[in-house]
Amino acid sequence: MSATATGNSAASSVAGADDVLRLFARWQQDGDPSARRALVERFMPLARSLTRRYGRSSEPFEDLLQVASLGLLKAIDRYDPERGYPFASYAVPTILGEMRRYFRDSGWAVHVPRGAQERALKVRDAQERLTNETGRAPTVNQLAEYLELETGEVLDALQAIRAYETVSLDAPRVGHDDEVISYGDSIGGEDARFELVELDATVSSALAHLPARDRLVLQLRFVEDLTQTEHAERIGISQMQVSRLLRRSLEQLRKLADAPPDGTR
Amino acid sequence: MGAGPNVRLKLSSRAENVLLLRQTLSGLAESMGLDPIALNDITTAVTEAANNVVLHAYGGEEGPLEVEFASGPASLTVVVGDRGRGIARALRSGETVSDGIGLPVIHALSETVEFRERPSGGTEVAMRFQPLQIRQPDGAALDDGAADLGALEVDGGITLAVAPTELARSVVPRVIATLAARAHLTTDRIADAQLLADTVLADLDRAGAGQLLVAIHVEQRALELRIGPLAGGLLDGSGRALPGSVLSHLADGQDVLAAGELQLLELRILQR
Repeated sequence: MSATATGNSAASSVAGADDVLRLFARWQQDGDPSARRALVERFMPLARSLTRRYGRSSEPFEDLLQVASLGLLKAIDRYDPERGYPFASYAVPTILGEMRRYFRDSGWAVHVPRGAQERALKVRDAQERLTNETGRAPTVNQLAEYLELETGEVLDALQAIRAYETVSLDAPRVGHDDEVISYGDSIGGEDARFELVELDATVSSALAHLPARDRLVLQLRFVEDLTQTEHAERIGISQMQVSRLLRRSLEQLRKLADAPPDGTR
Repeated sequence: MGAGPNVRLKLSSRAENVLLLRQTLSGLAESMGLDPIALNDITTAVTEAANNVVLHAYGGEEGPLEVEFASGPASLTVVVGDRGRGIARALRSGETVSDGIGLPVIHALSETVEFRERPSGGTEVAMRFQPLQIRQPDGAALDDGAADLGALEVDGGITLAVAPTELARSVVPRVIATLAARAHLTTDRIADAQLLADTVLADLDRAGAGQLLVAIHVEQRALELRIGPLAGGLLDGSGRALPGSVLSHLADGQDVLAAGELQLLELRILQR
């Protein structure tokens, strides 16, 4: 909930409605610049509130406030009191329009994905750091607190990681003795354990058709019952990657389990 | 292509549920290929409308917040409704709402805005947006009779109906993550919960479900999911047991429930 919602704005805007109309008459009909100044002062809190609510953290507040003030000036000059609706209902879209034009001109649209990506990387790193420090994965709130982000931003970041992170079988990783081994190499070691698979018969036969990597992730998660975090530690990839691999392997397994029993597919 | 909504959400008018709406929109945007600016505008307008319900529809009490999303050939319509004293009426009459900028913001960001009295009581705001690009989901929208969320309702929980099921794949995992975060689950258990949902959704999709019903109940360090309707999919005990194995490893409890004429799978996910 926004903290900008206050009770007194209602009272003051009702009390000041006639004053506001008089100020508009003085500025628009008599050209009295002090009336215009008074109007700017009177409605600056509106521009400020819009800046706070719709500004992006990547832009300095003062810059945005300036853009919003420009929008406010335009609204003050163009507002027609005769039409009978309140000034705010004209000013808000004018100010927002000015801010949106600024975002477009300053290439904000182009920067959005990059900002989101950077945030996703920060969240991923923080997740690993906190897991290492505490021995368990963090909650979303803990991540948000740690990184000073909003819950929604952390959720978006987690989603981005879930969607885009991939693991390459050939990506080198550092083994326990500091020698560089590939992820593919490490799979062979776990292979022998597959006789322990306790999944039911249909699944066991389908499992045999899966690539070793997929069998490994399923094995660790479902047979040894490691958490995704422990699992990640074991095979040297991130928990997000484990999650993604699990999803893919299960999808694959489901297809196989559905295939006709004679194995033609 | 149905004229009905694609997503129907029933929530309680709590401030924290506004975040859930925002995440739902992000999921839809992903499916529909909306650009970031369009998503930002739509999210801002919908947030204002929902905030108004939270703040004013029930005089400080909690009540139903009902939201529908419907995609057209080049537009997305979002209807935010209440069953209270009529926030839309208050908005329309110029009565000060929130800090008085909610309505102008909605007007500024949407193509058209319509305020309506609901036959069942309360009011609603229908906002139509025309993003530069939008991909309409492939398949029929919800039909009114079939998506009776009332049968699914759990106290304090949320219910969600989605059609076609393609949309559910991007929307449901986000909704689950948002609620799992609220339940204080750790990120690896959140991923497990999403994996469970992915598995069940894929099964229901393959079983030919035209729409999906989901009810989620949040507890401290626990999440209860109900997903259905089960109809000849892998989950009805017809002998194809893989999801059963997967579910029993990831979930801390599962059951099949009857809700009216529907059968639903109930899953519990606890923080371990």
